[in-house]
Amino acid sequence: MTQTLALLVDAYRELNAKKLFWVTLILSGVLVGAFACVGLDAQGITIFKWSLPVPMFNTRTMNVGFFYKFLFLQFGVALWLSWAAMILAVISTAAIIPDFVSGGAVELALSKPIGRVRLFLTKYFMGLLFVTLQVGVFSLASFLVIGLRGGAWEPRLFMAIPIVVGVFSFLFCVSALVGLLTRSTIAALLLTLLFWIFLFILNAADSSTLMIKSQKLAQVASQERMIERQKKEIERLEHWAKSQLDEKAKADASARGEPEPAPGAWTSEQLEQSNPQITSNRNQVSMMDKDIKENQDDVRQIERWNRGFVIAKTVLPKTAETTKLLERVLLSEEDVEKFRRTSGEDRRGRDDEENTHVAGAEMAERVLRSRSVGWIVGTSLAFEGVVLVLACWIFARRDF
Amino acid sequence: MSAIPTTAVSSPAAFGGTSQGWAVDLADVAKTYKGRIQALRGVSMKVAMGEIFGLLGPNGAGKSTLVKILMTVISPSRAHGTVLGHPVGHKGTLARVGYLPEHHRFPDYLTGGQVLEFYAGLCGVGRADRKKRRGDLLELVGMTRWGDTRVKSYSKGMRQRIGIAQALMNDPDLVVLDEPTDGVDPVGRRDIRNILLEVKRRGKAVFLNSHLLSELEMVCDRVAILVQGVMASQGTIGELTEGRQRYEIELGADRAPIEVLREVSPELAAAGRLTTGEAIEHTPTMLRVATGDATRVQGLVDLFRGRGVVIHALRPVRPSLEDLFMQAVTDPTTGQILEPGAADNKKGGARAAAHVGGGVA
Repeated sequence: MTQTLALLVDAYRELNAKKLFWVTLILSGVLVGAFACVGLDAQGITIFKWSLPVPMFNTRTMNVGFFYKFLFLQFGVALWLSWAAMILAVISTAAIIPDFVSGGAVELALSKPIGRVRLFLTKYFMGLLFVTLQVGVFSLASFLVIGLRGGAWEPRLFMAIPIVVGVFSFLFCVSALVGLLTRSTIAALLLTLLFWIFLFILNAADSSTLMIKSQKLAQVASQERMIERQKKEIERLEHWAKSQLDEKAKADASARGEPEPAPGAWTSEQLEQSNPQITSNRNQVSMMDKDIKENQDDVRQIERWNRGFVIAKTVLPKTAETTKLLERVLLSEEDVEKFRRTSGEDRRGRDDEENTHVAGAEMAERVLRSRSVGWIVGTSLAFEGVVLVLACWIFARRDF
Repeated sequence: MSAIPTTAVSSPAAFGGTSQGWAVDLADVAKTYKGRIQALRGVSMKVAMGEIFGLLGPNGAGKSTLVKILMTVISPSRAHGTVLGHPVGHKGTLARVGYLPEHHRFPDYLTGGQVLEFYAGLCGVGRADRKKRRGDLLELVGMTRWGDTRVKSYSKGMRQRIGIAQALMNDPDLVVLDEPTDGVDPVGRRDIRNILLEVKRRGKAVFLNSHLLSELEMVCDRVAILVQGVMASQGTIGELTEGRQRYEIELGADRAPIEVLREVSPELAAAGRLTTGEAIEHTPTMLRVATGDATRVQGLVDLFRGRGVVIHALRPVRPSLEDLFMQAVTDPTTGQILEPGAADNKKGGARAAAHVGGGVA
């Protein structure tokens, strides 16, 4: 316990000595301060005493608590904690393990009566302290602002701490392993950032393929509906053409003084000759059938790609999706649906193509949101565990 | 200089497991890097409680490797023996060992006092003891004024002083210091010597690794010389110089002493030996008789005095540690200084180091 406390105090002193730690904390404070300055009234958004009319954001479309949670998620978590503060954290902590294992320093630590694995893991978890303190302070300040200004005391806000620290730990384990292997801060930093970019691209590829697939499926469904409509229209036109031809045959027979003919069984060609629209509609149906087949082929192709991306993501940490979990925690499905409606994402006034896009995007969003927490967090933690086991094994066996 | 502070936890009487008084008792320690660099090739050595032991050797001889094996920083390829009565590599024992590595680097963000507290904390020293010993040891190493200053602004000598204090924070029974006086001024060296002697006086063992032979000679009870991963010799300086004493004779003549000897006794000069067999060496200014026995040189003195040759000086001389060191690192067949570095199997280094293999005193 004495040893762990010594390491904890040392980690705090190390953080305290880092300018970036304080810069990040100050920027967090500025952001929360900005939240506090922004408000909502019946016309729109207020900044101090000035009111800015915004149709989407006002007390008629949403309650103030929802507005602040939205700000916290979109700016506080999605932009600040997940990107800007995360980059600063990765930069600030990249040197922790390389410094720890550098010549002259590691000998002192290893010569103390503390096991190597315990020493490495304690040092690793102390590295997470940077983000824990940052998110902790930011969440507490946001909790107070949302409570005082929005009237919504939302303790679930503090879920940001384990979620953001978890995301950071997925990157920090890579930084620690590279730092241990190379003893270079620059290598640890660059490779971690590259790894993060790779995860970002992989996630973007997964989301994009999912969205394209969903849009294609929505398009197929829309085309099938159109074919049904066209078929009904063709039936109607044929019925009308038949009656026209029957009447004409009746008139001809009466003119010739012949008895009235029974309603005839007209061939398709006769009907089409009678009404060229039938031909045009049949052509359209045939073209749409072809389109559907092409789209279905595309869907199968995209599905294969998407499956590949999902498999790759399964064995890698899911930073973006883990961050998105906070949205699930803070905003219910109804909240999201309500926001979609109020923000004008409803389909009224849109054409079919636009509706297909929106429906595809919503379908993809639903699939992403339906992915289990176990898969998102469990497999990410499994990756982190494997990397840490490898790092501990190397640290425990290496001669320094 | 104040006395070294102690805690109630560890006292000189509490040497658990060291019934024979050996702080370090190693046998057949070997380390091979990457399957071919033989840093240590079966080293055996003992350090007693209450003594200061010096380990010498040229660069790359394996001194630091040996120290790091003791401190569990490096795992040996093969090792038998104990440290403070426990097998080599036993982590718990390190609570009773103080260590200062060569080229140590303390975290820049800590002050000298915080460095002492941090490493004592890693040794499991309680908070109250840490606070107390921090002040006492800062005073001991003359760093009280600088205890609250960050180590990044320290000079090398100041860092070394803090390093020594750090190694004593857990009131160790064995203190292992790698080049402790490196970068320290003469006053500081004297202070460090006094600290080491005080540690020894308290019945604890000090294991010193240094290049500064004169420093070692002043404080060490026993020394060992390591060459290319093999223990060339070890023992007290008296043991190591036994049989290597000389008598030097300076004559008052204006000619070279050997010429005077040729004149008074052409037979002795030609044989290069006394009649009792001791070798006579000569330099431009003196004759050296290879014996520690004064009675053996009396005949030669009488011979000179009988011919009226004035004897300016007759003195017994003992080889210095430097002489021993130089002898250990010189290839007896070629008379050349051995190449520095460990034995490399691929470069035939094992053969080069073979001559020192059986030299353990």
